Amino acid sequence: MILEFAQWLQATALFTGLRGSAYLYPVVLSLHMVIIAFFGGMVLLTNLRLLGLSMSRYPAGAMLERFRLPKRYALIAMLVLGFLLFGCKAEEYYYNVWFRAKLILLLLIGVNYLIFRGSIYNNTAALDRAVPSSAKLAAALSLILWAGVVCAGRGIGYIEPPLDKIHAGLHSAPHAALYSRSGVRRLV
Amino acid sequence: MLIGNPLNSSELAFPVLECIHILAFAFSVGTAAIVDLRLIGIGMTDQSPSDLWKDTSLWTLLGLIVVVFSGLLLFSSDPDNYYLNYAFLLKMACLLLAVVHNYTAVRKAASGAATPANGRLVGSVALFFWACVVFGGIFIGFLNSTLDSRRV
Repeated sequence: MILEFAQWLQATALFTGLRGSAYLYPVVLSLHMVIIAFFGGMVLLTNLRLLGLSMSRYPAGAMLERFRLPKRYALIAMLVLGFLLFGCKAEEYYYNVWFRAKLILLLLIGVNYLIFRGSIYNNTAALDRAVPSSAKLAAALSLILWAGVVCAGRGIGYIEPPLDKIHAGLHSAPHAALYSRSGVRRLV
Repeated sequence: MLIGNPLNSSELAFPVLECIHILAFAFSVGTAAIVDLRLIGIGMTDQSPSDLWKDTSLWTLLGLIVVVFSGLLLFSSDPDNYYLNYAFLLKMACLLLAVVHNYTAVRKAASGAATPANGRLVGSVALFFWACVVFGGIFIGFLNSTLDSRRV
C-alpha cells in the first residue's frame, strides 16, 4: 500500500513537473539545506546549553522557551521541503535503505522528545534553577540523533534502486535493491 | 589521475567526509546566523549582540575550521572537476565574502558599534552570503553531472 502511494504521488502533476525541472529541484534542495543550517545552529546551541557547554549566562529553561517556536517553524519548513524532495522520487525512496534509516531516526527523535517532554522540555521553570543529568542525557541523545538524520539524508543520494529491473520482475527480492549503489551525484 | 589520493581508493571516505562537512556547516553557519538574526532584530532580542557573539563565536569558529578542512579534502578528490565547475567557483567567492564579512562587519556591529539600521543591513548581507554558499554547494552536483556520473 505504501508502495502504491509512492507510485501515485510521484506521478502527480506537481511532482512530475518538479522532477523534470532543471533548476527548481536543486533550488528546493538548497532551501532544505539552508533551513538545516538555521535549525542545526538552534539545536546545537540549546543542547549545548543543557550540557553546560555554551550560553552559560542564559538560564537553560529560558533558552528552551526562547528557541521553541523558531525551532518548530524551521522543522515544519524542513519537513515541507523534504516532502517535496521525497515526492519527486517517491518510489526510489521507498526502496532506499538510507531513506528508511532517516525516517526511523526521525521517529526516535520524536520518542526522545515524548520521553523527556514532561520532565525537561515542558518543565523549564525547574531547568532555570538546575539542569538535572537526565536533561544532559536528552541533549546528548538529541545531538547524536540529529547528526544521524543528516548523515542518513546524505546517504540517500548514494543509492539508486534499479526500478527498471524491479518493474520487469528481474529483482525477485526487492530488499536487494535497498543497497544498490548509484552513479553517485556528488554534492557539496 | 597521476597522483593517487587515498580518498579515492576508499568507497566510504568521500561520503563520510561529506557528512562531517554538512554537520560542521550546519553548526558554523547556524550559530553565525543566530548573531546575524539578532542584528536584524529577530530571535535572541533579550541578549545583547556582544554577549551573543561571545557565546557563539567559539562554536562558529570550530565549525568553520572543520568545514573548511573537510572541504579541502573533498576538493582534493577531484580538483580539476571542481575547478571547472561554475557553481564551485561561485561558492568559493561567496565563502570568502561570508567569512571576511563575519569577522569584520558582523564582529564590529555585534560589539555595539553599529546603529540598528546598520546592524540590520550587516546581518542581512551576512545571511545572504551564507545562503549563496549553500546554493553554490548544492548546484555543484547539478552542473557537470554527466561528467560526475561517468567517472564515479
